[in-house]
Formats: sequence, C-alpha cells, structure tokens
Amino acid sequence: MAGIATRADRDAPDSRIPLRSIDFLILLMLARSGDRHGYGIMQDVAEHTNGSIELEAGSLYRTIRRLQDDRLLEESSRRPAAESDDERRRYYRLTPFGKRVVAAEAARLRRLVRIAESARILAPEPAR
Amino acid sequence: MTEFVRTKPRGMQERVYRVLLHLYPRDFRQEFGDAMTEFFHDRLARARAAHPIVAPLLLWPHVLLDFVRNALPARFDSMLRALRRSRTRATAGRTPTIRDSRRKDWMLTTILQDMRYAARGLTSKPAFSAIVLATLTLGIGATVAIFSVVNGVLLRPLPYAEPRRLMLIEHVDPYGTVSEPEFADYRRQARSIEKIAAVAYGSANLTGGGEEPERIRVSRVSDGFFQILGVPTQVGRFFTPDEDKPNAPTVIILSHGLWQRRYAADSSIIGKDVIVNGNPRVVVGVMPSRFDYPSSSIDMWVPLRLNYDSLWTRNNHYLTVIAKRAPNVTFAGSVAELNALNSNWTRDYPDTYAPDKPVQVKAAEFEDALVGKSKPYLYALLGAVAFVLLIACVNVANLLLARGEGRRKELAVRTALGASRARIARQVLTESALYALVGGTLGVLLAWQGVRFLIALAPSTIPRLGDVRVDFPVLLFSLVLSLGTGFLFGLVPALKAAPDASGETLKESGKAGGQQGRGITRLRRALVVSEIALATITLCAAGLMLRSFANLQSVDLGFRPENILTMRVSLPARQYPDDRAVQLYQSILDRVRGIAGVRSAGTVGELPVRDGWSSWSILIDGAPMTSVAGAPAAMPMQVSPGFFETMGITLARGRLFTDADRNGAPIVVIVNETMEKMLWPGKSALGGTVKMLNPQSPWATVVGVIKDVREGGFLVEPPPSMYFPHAQAGLSAYYWPVDMNLVIRTQGDPLSIVSAVRRIVHELEPAAPLARIQTMDDVVAASVSSRLFSTQLLAGFAILALVLAGIGIYGVISYGVTQRTFEIGLRIALGAPRQQVLRLIVGEGVRLAVVGLAIGIAGALAVTRSMRALFVDVSSGDPRTLLTVIISIGVVALLASWLPARRATVVDPMGAMRAQ
Repeated sequence: MAGIATRADRDAPDSRIPLRSIDFLILLMLARSGDRHGYGIMQDVAEHTNGSIELEAGSLYRTIRRLQDDRLLEESSRRPAAESDDERRRYYRLTPFGKRVVAAEAARLRRLVRIAESARILAPEPAR
Repeated sequence: MTEFVRTKPRGMQERVYRVLLHLYPRDFRQEFGDAMTEFFHDRLARARAAHPIVAPLLLWPHVLLDFVRNALPARFDSMLRALRRSRTRATAGRTPTIRDSRRKDWMLTTILQDMRYAARGLTSKPAFSAIVLATLTLGIGATVAIFSVVNGVLLRPLPYAEPRRLMLIEHVDPYGTVSEPEFADYRRQARSIEKIAAVAYGSANLTGGGEEPERIRVSRVSDGFFQILGVPTQVGRFFTPDEDKPNAPTVIILSHGLWQRRYAADSSIIGKDVIVNGNPRVVVGVMPSRFDYPSSSIDMWVPLRLNYDSLWTRNNHYLTVIAKRAPNVTFAGSVAELNALNSNWTRDYPDTYAPDKPVQVKAAEFEDALVGKSKPYLYALLGAVAFVLLIACVNVANLLLARGEGRRKELAVRTALGASRARIARQVLTESALYALVGGTLGVLLAWQGVRFLIALAPSTIPRLGDVRVDFPVLLFSLVLSLGTGFLFGLVPALKAAPDASGETLKESGKAGGQQGRGITRLRRALVVSEIALATITLCAAGLMLRSFANLQSVDLGFRPENILTMRVSLPARQYPDDRAVQLYQSILDRVRGIAGVRSAGTVGELPVRDGWSSWSILIDGAPMTSVAGAPAAMPMQVSPGFFETMGITLARGRLFTDADRNGAPIVVIVNETMEKMLWPGKSALGGTVKMLNPQSPWATVVGVIKDVREGGFLVEPPPSMYFPHAQAGLSAYYWPVDMNLVIRTQGDPLSIVSAVRRIVHELEPAAPLARIQTMDDVVAASVSSRLFSTQLLAGFAILALVLAGIGIYGVISYGVTQRTFEIGLRIALGAPRQQVLRLIVGEGVRLAVVGLAIGIAGALAVTRSMRALFVDVSSGDPRTLLTVIISIGVVALLASWLPARRATVVDPMGAMRAQ
C-alpha cells in the first residue's frame, strides 16, 4: 500500500511503477477493451493468461478498489446497449492518468525484454 | 457514488453468498456488494452451463477460499483508507459533514463519545441510575461472593504437590478403616503406588510453659506422610525414616496455630522440649499456617512408629491411608491393583474375614475426599444466585426499555439528523456497559465484605474456607460477569432503541404507540414471565431444602438434648491406672450434683452424635470361642450411673445402672433395641449374656434394654450398641477409660454452671484439661451445620428472587396503566364500573404469573430432580411444596398488580382523554 504522497509525486506515472502484476493485467485489459464490468475483466484476464489466472470476486474487487483509490481507474458512466446489460452492473475504465501509468509500465517491461534478448535468453521477435 | 440498491438474490446459493458478504466491511459491501453478487451469479450460470450438478459444487471451494483470503484484509484496507482520508481532510481544512461522521463510525473517538454520552445519561437521572445500580450491585455482588467460595473451595487446585496423584484409601463397610497388617501388605506389595502412608488420630494433654493444660488433637503419621503431601515446613524439618522406628525417641511437629497460640511463634522452639502427656518431646518442625491435613483442628503430628515385626492384630481397623500414585497410573488402575492384592485375604486369613464380607478398597481422589461433600451444596447455591442475577438483569432491562420509551422523541430527532440505527444501538449498549461496570465494581466491593461475613457464619465443616478470598480469578470472573450482564440487559433495549426510519415517532403525541410501542410492551411482558419462571424454580429448590431440613430435625435422636451441658475431661493417664479414674469421676459427679440448678449428671466415654464409634467383636449366650469372621459385633460405650436419666434416654425393658454395679459386683450390660433385634430376634434380651471375643473376658448379663440412640446423628441409622458401667469396664470391656464426657442436665441455661464445674474438676485434679464445653443442643446443631447454612442462604436467595420478580410485575403493570390512561378513561366514561377496570388490570398481572408459573414449574421439576441427593424424606416433585410456591407467587403477583390497578380506578375520565 502506498504511503501518503504529496500532490506532485502522485501525478508522475513513474512514481507508480513497478505495478503489481495483477494491477497491470487488469489495467491492460481495460486499456484494450475500453469499459468493462467486473466479470468481463475477469474473463479477459483469464483468456489472455490461458486460464491460468482466474480472478475471484473478492480479489478482483479489492484490487479494483485499490486502483480506484490510486486513481488509475474509475467508474464509467457509459453503458452498452440496454439488452446486453444489467442495470446493476458497474462498468470501469482507465483514467487518463491510468493510461499513462500502464504505458510507463509496459515500456519498462519492454526494456527488460530487450535486455533478455540481448543476453540471448529470449529469441528476438520482429516488431509487428 | 451510486445509490446502494439491493439486488434481489436469486436462488439459495446466491442467498448464502449474500450472507457471506457480511464478512467484508460495510463500505466495501456498499460499493461492491451488488457487483460481487452479480459476479457470483455469472460464475454460477457459466458453471451450470458446463456441468449442471458438479460444476457449481466445485465452484464453492474457490469462493470460500476467496472469502478467507480477502475479507479480513479488506477490513484492514477500509480502516486505513478512512484514516488516510480523514488525515488528508484535516490537513486540507474541510469541515466534517454528516456523511463524514458516518465514515468515522469505527474510530476510537466515537467510542469515547459514546462513553461521554453514557456518563451524562447516568448522572442526568440520578434516581433512575440509583435503582439500576442498586439492583446490579446486589445481583453481581451476591454472585461474586458465592463464586469466591466456590472458587476457593472447589475450583482452586489443592495446595499439595501433584494433587492429582494423591488418593485416600479406606475399606468398604464393615471394616471402614485399615488395620496395621493390611497397611503393611499394601505398602510392601502395591506397585501402582509410589509412596504410601498411614494416619491415625488421637488426643493428648499438653502441659507446661506456665499455661493451662490443654487438650490437643494429635495425628500419628507414618514415614512418607509429609513427602506425599509435599508441603514444606515453615520452620525446621520433617521426620526422618529413623524417627518412625518403634524404639526411636518421640519427636513432634507443631501446627502453625498451636505454635502461634502457645509458643508465641518463636522459631527457637526447634530442638526444645514440650511436655506431652507428662513426657518431654522434642520439637523438630512447624508446619505453615495453611497446612491442615488431616484436619484443621490438628495441633501436632507425631510419627506412627509401627513395629513391622510385631503388628497389631489384623482385625483392629483404625488407620486411614493416603497414597501417591506412580506416574502415569490411573486412579481406577490403582484401585484395581489394591483390590487384587486384598482378594486373597479372605482365603489367607479366614479367622479375620468372613467370606460373605470380603475386603474391598474404598478409595477416593484426594480432592473428592476433601471437598466432595460440599460440592452439591455449593453448586446449588451458585445456581440460585445466578438465577437471582438473571432476574436482576431482567428488571434492569425492563427499566432501560421503559426509559428508552421516554427518550424516543430525542432518538427520533437524532436519527433524522443522520445517526444510524447501529450507532444509536451502540450508544445504548455503551450506556449499559457503563452501568454494568459501575455496578460490577460496587458489587465486588460488596462481595469483599460479604465473603468475610460468609466465612464467619459458615460452619467449619466446609473445608478450605480459610483460604477463600476475593483474588485474581474472582476479579477476572467479576469483570467478565459485569460485561456479560451489561450485554445481557443492554442488548434488548439497544435493539429497540432506534426508532424506525419513518417520521412516525416525531408526529406522535409523545406516548409510545404504533407498532414499535406494542412490540416493546410484548417484550417487557415476556421478560417478566421469564422472571417469574426463574423465581419459581429458586423458590421450589429452597422450599424443598427447607422441608428436608425440617424432616431431618424431626428425626428422633433417642434422647432429649435441651438444657444439657457437656464437656470432655482428660485425666493424665499415668496417674490413673486401673479403675482409679472411676473413683475420681464419681467424686466429680457427686459434687456436680450438688451445684444449684443441676437436675442430674453422668459420664460417657463417647458423646452421642459428635464422637465417632468403634465396633467390637463379641460372643453371646455362652457361644464357644470363634474367629473374628464368625462373630457378631456391636458398638461399646462406657457410662456411669445417671447417664441414661440425664440424657433422657428411654428404658424399654429391665433396669438402668446404679452405684451397686461396681467392681466386684456381678458383671452387667445394657443393650439397645437394635442389638436386641439383631442378636435375640423375636425375644427379650434380658437375661442374655455378652462377652468380648477374647478368652479372659467374663460374661456380662443383660439387665436392661434401651430405645435406640442415633449415635451418628440424624442421618445415620443407630448401630447395635452395648453399654457397660464405667466401674466394670476394665473387666468386661478391656479397659477403664480415663477420658470421659460429663453430661449435666440443668434447670436453666446450661452454660451458667460452667465455671462451677470447672472449679470442681480442678480441685479434684488440677492437671486435667477441660475441652469441648458445649450444650447438647449445640452439638446436635453442629452436626447439621453445613446443611443449615446452605439452606438458609438458598432461602434468602429465593426470597430475594421473589421480591425482584414482584417488582418486575409491578413495573410492567404500572407502566401499562400509564400507557392506557386514555383507554381507561374512555371505558369509565362509557360506563364501565371501576371494579371491572380493576379486574381487567389485575387480570393482566395474573395472566403473566400463570404463564410464568407454568414454565417455572416445568423448569423446577427438572432442576430439583438434579438436586435430589440433597433432599431428605421429600421427593423432588413434592406437591405440597409446589403448591406453596404457586400460592406465594400468586399472592405476590396479585399484590404487584393490584397496587397500580388501584391507581387506574381513580382515573378521572375527562382528564385522561383531554390529556391525549
């Protein structure tokens, strides 16, 4: 849990990285798919980790609350079409700040991958 | 934040999930509760789609694990979030809003706020608080006092080393105690026992030191006795094994009491001599003040000094045996081994043991032996006082509910301003806790004094009483008890305190009406019914104990104890060989009979009811010598002429002793009816002959038969008894006793002649101490003292319970009258006779009492059944007692209802309706 930081610190994306892997996963999925509700996030995460991470409700929403407190994501006021929706579902999306943080983290990971490639641990993949 | 809308759970599993969500903190639930339920719903649906039955089941372990992993951390998160938020807000300088106070709910400041509010509430209505505190102080104080006794006597571990391995060993009747050869056998052969020791009792004369001669109680103990108990001496040392050998010089160990009393607690007493029975004995040790085995009246321990090469006859049973079991041996295992050892004795010693009366060990765990008899009494008292406390709690709950009614407007305003129901409930609970803690503290102080009072009143037959005090476990118990009672009587008012969310209360005219008011009234009535039930149970138990005591006292002891003075005279044995003691006692009696106010006097070797008895083997009517196993036995008593007349014992046949029955005259004996029925069934014993089972003893002729005397007290059947004239005892009954009890019947108060008797005895024998100076009435009372004590206490609690229940009924009915003033006024205005109104209200009280009685009688039958071991000659469901209890409660209920009902009949109808 982050301590109480001053205003200036908190606005710098760099102060929030490295992110926990679970945080990064959730934020990344949101970055990819826009507004999602809790169950949807869980499904996305499960899909992209080939079923190895299946979030339960408690862990998921605790994380969502934490990310909310850290202002990395927020509740979305937009709703998809009425038929596919339940009035009671809550939808979440990245905040702009959250987007910057995800980007910073992704960049950090890419740097690490590059080091692994140069050390021949990982076969270099051509940029897509 | 969006509105917290409760989703309706669909199906059983979702409902369960919903309940489990309460493990999370409230703010989390408010925000995510719905979402999580939906989440769960979706998971369930997907699982069902995969496998209809199995998959949902497989889902639950993951779900439960999720709760385990996250619910508690989520609570921490919530606390820290709120802390952080308030701190940043404080630094930002924002003013707290109502919503903020809701978020701060859990913080310490609210607890302090609650306490301040509660303290204000306590002091704002002093009369109300005084009644509540008084009720609580009495209830908690009495409970703590009784608990102190239970803790000190029963719960605390014994002060001996490894008390669970200690046991007391005796034999089943008819043998009772253990003889020297039997003890030697156990000692030599028992493998399950690590250490074993024998104990015998006696008395001795202590003289010298410039003080009055004193009769002291002596305990003779074999080697290992002190080591078994494991309590070190205060000064000096234990006996050495050599000092337990037959020819060793006698050494003694003093009790703390004797050491303080007679030797001024001087530690240099060690190594000095003390004159016991005329002989100097060296003191080697002094025991600490709380060491009181075998009894708190023991003044001195001496070595038993058994001669293992030449033990007393196997038939002489007088030793009590204590033993420490080997480690890891169970009580049952040890008893089994001992019984296996003695199973051969009937075969090996046919002269001593009759085959139809085999030797069986009667063993008890040490703790049971010491405190077992007091257990049922003490637990009955604890139960009764707990009931009284419960009734007190109900009364306080009712009082708080009534006050809650009066504050509903105030609470409604607070709710409208944003205080949550839970907050209000917590405040009421805090108030209750404060009442309970203050009442508890006062109660502990009351108990502290009460315990002293109890110990002073209590009979010495309750063991370990000297150690009872209000100590740490008792204080801990009081704290838990106080908080528990606070919770108990506070819970219901707390739950009912917060009015419902609608503005209904504010619109009312100030009287409790509407749904909630009615609910509270119902609740209060239910509470009163429970009070009545509890009081019924307590009264039934007390009533049966009282009946038992009365039955006990009405048992005919066989003599008339009024106006008899008794005391024990102990002559220095060395100066009174043979029958010289007889002459001295005759002189004493002659002079005593000359004292003004003395009607008659006599002496007896063992005082009925108080002193123990022996059982000697005899032959009758010229029967040939036989073995102990084949011979009958009876209890021997040595008496002077005048004894039977003085005691008021009735002669059935024949004659009593006279001065003519002296040494040299024909040998005579008097027997009791039990002995006559046993040994001369169907005919008179007169003319029959009795002799001791030993070749030299002469035959004694039965010259009289007396009606049975209950030598063992009220509850013990009279044994077959034979009485020998003191003057002939040395011939017909082995020896002339030098210690005798004087019994003197007086015109007026027996104690008024004590100094005159003392003077006479000292003139005739200055070195003879007088002991146990009491009236016979006191002796008889002492034999039932612990029963009397607990019966009196129980009766006291029962009356207290009845009074409290009566107050409870009064409170509820009275309140009902106030509530219904309007209705009553209306009825009267419409022409109802005032008598009818009276009957209406009294009828309510009676109805409550009837329901309470019904439940109470059912409960009482169950409770008294469990107490039936304490009752004497009365069944646990005795109808007369039940009827008396029903009538008592009925009368109290009628009275408690009638008083407020009278108030109702003088209601001015116009005034009542106008006030509305």
